[in-house]
Amino acid sequence: MDINTFIAQFISGLSTAMLLFLISSGLTLIFGVVNVLNFAHGSFYLLGTYFAYQLMQLFNNFWVGLLVGAIGAGLVGMVIEFFFLRRIYGRAQQEGAFQLLMTYAFILILDDTVKFIWGTEYKTIPKPASLTGSLNIGTVTVPAYNVFIIIVGLLVVLFAWYFLMRTETGKMVRASSIDRIMLSLLGVNVPMIMTLVFGVATAMGGLAGVLAAPLRTVTPGAGIEVIIDSMIVVVIGGFGNFWGALLGALIIGEVLSFGILYMPELATVLTFIVMIIVLIAKPEGLLAKKAVGRK
Amino acid sequence: MAHNLLNFKVKNKLRRFFMKSKFVLFVLIAAILFPLSSVYSAETIKIGALYTMTGRGGQYGKDSEVAIKIALDEVNKKGLPGGAKLDVIITDDKNPQYAVSVAKRYITDEKCKFLFGIISTAIGLAVTEVSKEHKVIFVGTDHAGTDLTANKFQKYYFRSSNNTFQSMMAGAMYLKNEIKNWKKIAYIGPDYAYGRDQWMELKWALDKLGVKYQVVGEYWPKLYEPDYTSYITAIMKAAPDILVNGMWGGDTVAFIKQAKPYGLFNKMKYFHVDAGGNYEVFAALGDDMPEGLILSARHHNNWPDTPENNEYVQKFYKAAGRYPTYAAEGAYVGIHMIAEAIRKVGNANDTEALIKALEGMKIKCPEDPPGFTSYIDPKTHQIVQVQAIGVTMKNDKFPPTKYMLGNFKVYPADKLWPNFEYIEYMTKVKGK
Repeated sequence: MDINTFIAQFISGLSTAMLLFLISSGLTLIFGVVNVLNFAHGSFYLLGTYFAYQLMQLFNNFWVGLLVGAIGAGLVGMVIEFFFLRRIYGRAQQEGAFQLLMTYAFILILDDTVKFIWGTEYKTIPKPASLTGSLNIGTVTVPAYNVFIIIVGLLVVLFAWYFLMRTETGKMVRASSIDRIMLSLLGVNVPMIMTLVFGVATAMGGLAGVLAAPLRTVTPGAGIEVIIDSMIVVVIGGFGNFWGALLGALIIGEVLSFGILYMPELATVLTFIVMIIVLIAKPEGLLAKKAVGRK
Repeated sequence: MAHNLLNFKVKNKLRRFFMKSKFVLFVLIAAILFPLSSVYSAETIKIGALYTMTGRGGQYGKDSEVAIKIALDEVNKKGLPGGAKLDVIITDDKNPQYAVSVAKRYITDEKCKFLFGIISTAIGLAVTEVSKEHKVIFVGTDHAGTDLTANKFQKYYFRSSNNTFQSMMAGAMYLKNEIKNWKKIAYIGPDYAYGRDQWMELKWALDKLGVKYQVVGEYWPKLYEPDYTSYITAIMKAAPDILVNGMWGGDTVAFIKQAKPYGLFNKMKYFHVDAGGNYEVFAALGDDMPEGLILSARHHNNWPDTPENNEYVQKFYKAAGRYPTYAAEGAYVGIHMIAEAIRKVGNANDTEALIKALEGMKIKCPEDPPGFTSYIDPKTHQIVQVQAIGVTMKNDKFPPTKYMLGNFKVYPADKLWPNFEYIEYMTKVKGK
């Protein structure tokens, strides 16, 4: 393989990985802190795409869509957590089944809601004018918008690191993923933390949707398409591990990218093979520690 | 005595008057009730339809529903034997298992005389077994898997839109006659039967036409794959002269959007002749549609420019507020096919007679160019139609699109189907 091909495939894989990371980081954060496996997470990605579309229709401004789309998805997430998911917390053995049923129900409800409001036709939104061109890295052409997605992903990583490691609230978020009961005994309003984390996580899903919208199709069902790959990323990285989501996304993005080049018949299977290898070798995930203590 | 006689005469007159009045009253009542009784005794012939109404394929279901209503109005206005009316029940098909249960319910509970519709070939293959088991005619209107009118043929199945072989055979003719000096070809298509079969059919057709080519890449993203970036860079590396695409719907839109900034369409000819030219792709892409792409679809809103096609397209626009995807035309034609068969037979109950009526039936479709009428091939029950392949060019007459197809090359229907040599090949490869 020549260097240009390597660079082209690597950057393609990186761009795919960053969008995957943005979705799956929210999914793993919700699991880590709120202890909910949010099957409806893809629906917040879907909401992000539709909010972006609607705001483009109203204001013809991608940046407004980016901000409002992410915040809007986050607010919807907080409402769902506060009014619905809270009802099933702590129901011991049934909670898993209830979570699955309730979050699956929200997939169907949100999908039909967007269909009801915006119709079934495929929609697209244009890229912002400043990002329509391409960059040349040697002889390799890279769309400017893909570079933008990679930069946003890296900024989110930096911001998340700072927030989780350097702020008091971030410490409480990390603490709640280790032992919620102890944290509440220390006088922290744990339910509020859970709602806020759910909101931030779904906002990240929405952000991924807004970023993806100019590249993909805005259509009902778009959320379901991303949830399986996001789950694979979370399994590989470790449930509840934010940095694991980054590592998992990078692995999946690059395995797929180079797999397409050398084993196109098996490319889509490779991601599952990687997941199986991780489950056999380190079932808790690559970056997760073995479970200790209480939640 | 005279008094009694007078009374008798008066009573007699009165009695005759009342009897006359009763008679008149009876006639009046009968005159009112008889038409009503005719209405209540006129048959409603039910057609049980299954369409995707949610998710990615939801637009095809919605468009089919609109087209069905238009066709029903036309059919019922023209009339059916015995004053019967056609009616269609539509249910979301969801998945093959669910569709099978709905199809069975249509037959056993709703007493539907026909099964109808279906977008996905996978679901069509499941429901055709129900049609065969219960001996109920099934008119497929949008799924294009060649199997159903080839190796998986069963006599109760008919299809009112073209199969992928017809598109690919026309495509092979286009590649042979219209594009010069090409050698390297690559294919990208969704990794399921629809995507796989198109490539198999195109290669078979190219071989039969004696075209020499070299396959430099085959790519199989999953259906509904959201991100094609890595596929695009791999295709750019392979550098084919022709890139054939077998996607449909939103996947096509996403691929074109993602490929454009890489300059893919300047470096190779893009060829997408079964579903690439569907109206929704133009509507979604707008100005982002590249010029010069070689596309086709199962119906074009702007071709042929005949009164029949224009009238159909405008009727749809008036009913739905938008222009139709090709799924609508299949549904529209399907309803007319059933109506014509019922008119020929005189009823909707004699299934064997209806099958005979449908076999060989000529049915004028909106997509028929002047001088040609589509017909149902009697051996395979597949509608036989011309295929028109065009090139994207600026055209904003069907908003919100900014491009449509133009410079059409038209391929004669009888050269495209039936092809028993291919059916034999397909049966060997895929089985019955």
